[in-house]
Amino acid sequence: MIRVVIADDEAPARLKLTRWFGMQADVLVVGEAADGLAAVQALDSQRPDLLLLDIRMPGLSGIELAAQLDPAIAPLLVFITAYDEYAVTAFELAALDYLLKPFDNARLAKMLDRVRARLRSGASAESAVHVENAVQVAQRLQQARGPLTRLVVPAGEHLQVIAVDAIDWIESDDNYVHLHLAQKRHTLRRPLQELLAQLDPDRFVRIHKSVAVNISAIATLEPLFKGDHEVTLHSGKVLRLSRRFKAGLFTRLGRTVPLAP
Amino acid sequence: MSTHQNKVLQQWPVGLLKPLLAAWGLFWLLMILVAVHDNFGGPVVRWWQPLVWEGSSALVLTALLVIMLRYSRRQQALLATPWRWFWQHLQWLPLLSGLFVLLTYGLRHLAYGLAGLTYEHEGWLMIWAYETLKLALFLGLWLGVLFGLQFFAGWHEQQGRLLAAQRTLAEARLLQLKSQLQPHFLFNTLNTISALIPTDPERADVLVNRLADLLRGYLSLDAATLVPLREEVRLLQHYADIMTSRFAPRVAVRWQLAIAALERSVPPLLLQPLLENAFRHGVEPSLAPVTIDIDARVDDDVLVLRLRNAPAAGGHRAGAATDGNGIGLRNCRERLRAQYGLAASLTTEQQGDAFIVTIRIGASPL
Repeated sequence: MIRVVIADDEAPARLKLTRWFGMQADVLVVGEAADGLAAVQALDSQRPDLLLLDIRMPGLSGIELAAQLDPAIAPLLVFITAYDEYAVTAFELAALDYLLKPFDNARLAKMLDRVRARLRSGASAESAVHVENAVQVAQRLQQARGPLTRLVVPAGEHLQVIAVDAIDWIESDDNYVHLHLAQKRHTLRRPLQELLAQLDPDRFVRIHKSVAVNISAIATLEPLFKGDHEVTLHSGKVLRLSRRFKAGLFTRLGRTVPLAP
Repeated sequence: MSTHQNKVLQQWPVGLLKPLLAAWGLFWLLMILVAVHDNFGGPVVRWWQPLVWEGSSALVLTALLVIMLRYSRRQQALLATPWRWFWQHLQWLPLLSGLFVLLTYGLRHLAYGLAGLTYEHEGWLMIWAYETLKLALFLGLWLGVLFGLQFFAGWHEQQGRLLAAQRTLAEARLLQLKSQLQPHFLFNTLNTISALIPTDPERADVLVNRLADLLRGYLSLDAATLVPLREEVRLLQHYADIMTSRFAPRVAVRWQLAIAALERSVPPLLLQPLLENAFRHGVEPSLAPVTIDIDARVDDDVLVLRLRNAPAAGGHRAGAATDGNGIGLRNCRERLRAQYGLAASLTTEQQGDAFIVTIRIGASPL
């Protein structure tokens, strides 16, 4: 059985897909989502084989969502759009399947045939490459549209969406990052470098090999020995700014780097 | 002579030249009547003598006026600096008064001579000084009138040009509106219809016809003519019906339309971009259900149109309701200004999570 989740904010659009998939013997629709957040939850709880993802959705767009998926656990992705020339070009370049609204049953059958073929080859290279491509294309599209403003994070059993602005600082831990908010801490399975590439570089700045800070969370800077600085956040947390990253932070704070004594 | 006059007539707005000439005629009629009345029954003065005095003055000054009108037209660029304008005219005063004395007194001498009398007056120098003073006052008065009229004519002309430019802009905007029929809207609507065909063919049929009506309405629009609000509302309702089908149950549209308001005229597609905004920036990015209220009423002979979108109780909006609203609002404002000038206004207001656009259109278009 191919387990499918359908994410589209327009009910008739979902209805059309569930109805058609319902007539396929080897497909089971295990979840429907009317917004990006619900899609994340369905993805989390159902672990589907295939995610049909509309690009324009409230809460979290299809592109924002896909850009944050971990390719290791992501399902096959088929994007749906009514009109988005830029995205369509990107999908075509990466040989991804996508649906242009409106579509007919023949188009859906063709899409499902491809999905079957990819899934039959199991965890073969082709399938993995397809998913990886899809996530990469989404990341590229998202970057072109501007930095991420919302992040999908695990919260206990479930996933939740947080505003990027709410993060005070980010701590790298091997292939994981810990996001420190005023009250909470979330852990994401992504390297710091990769996450920073998707965030606003004028807001999140690296101050240490393993630490990035939200500039608006900084309260004071105190010079230490050897050109290092002590960074105190509004929350009271104290971090260290290493000499190596001093220039980057000072430029963003609109200050010139003081000469070393 | 006639070509000269035509030129003057062409240059002057006809509406202004007529009252100016009428005032001029009336002024001299009064002068003559007063002079005749003052000297009536006097022992020394014959009845026709005041007529000669004032008549000669009127004749000479009318000739001077016509020359002045021509001259003054060339000085129009100076209207913005009144002192220079007056100076340009008044610097001719000594010459004018010399000419005036010569011509007027010549005419009087001629008239008296024909009657076999002698026209007696003070010495020429005295006369010249006296007439110069009188002429200065006289010229001051009439130059004031002339300046006012020309200034008004210039303002009027500029206003007309401005309005024409605004109309052109408004027409361009409408064209842009028509051509920018959102592809997103069109393709998503087709997809909705396609989804409904197997499950609810009747509704699919209704939507196809709504869409066709909407397209026909857009295509047949003409920027120059106003449409009854009833017609504008009909298109709006088609659009709202389609959008509600797509986004139900996330949206509810409520209408409150006074009959008197529906009879009033509005520029075509005035409200359409505002309703599109309400869906695009109010409904589409919202997780919570949104209510859109559209009211039309006539208040003290002013047509008041109000469009309000707000998340249903309990819900709140993810982003600001005004994001990206700008172009639609500016467009709408420009069209109102072009059509109604100051008689119409568009205001926006953020009340908590609710975003409200209010249009007021006064009774008489420009």
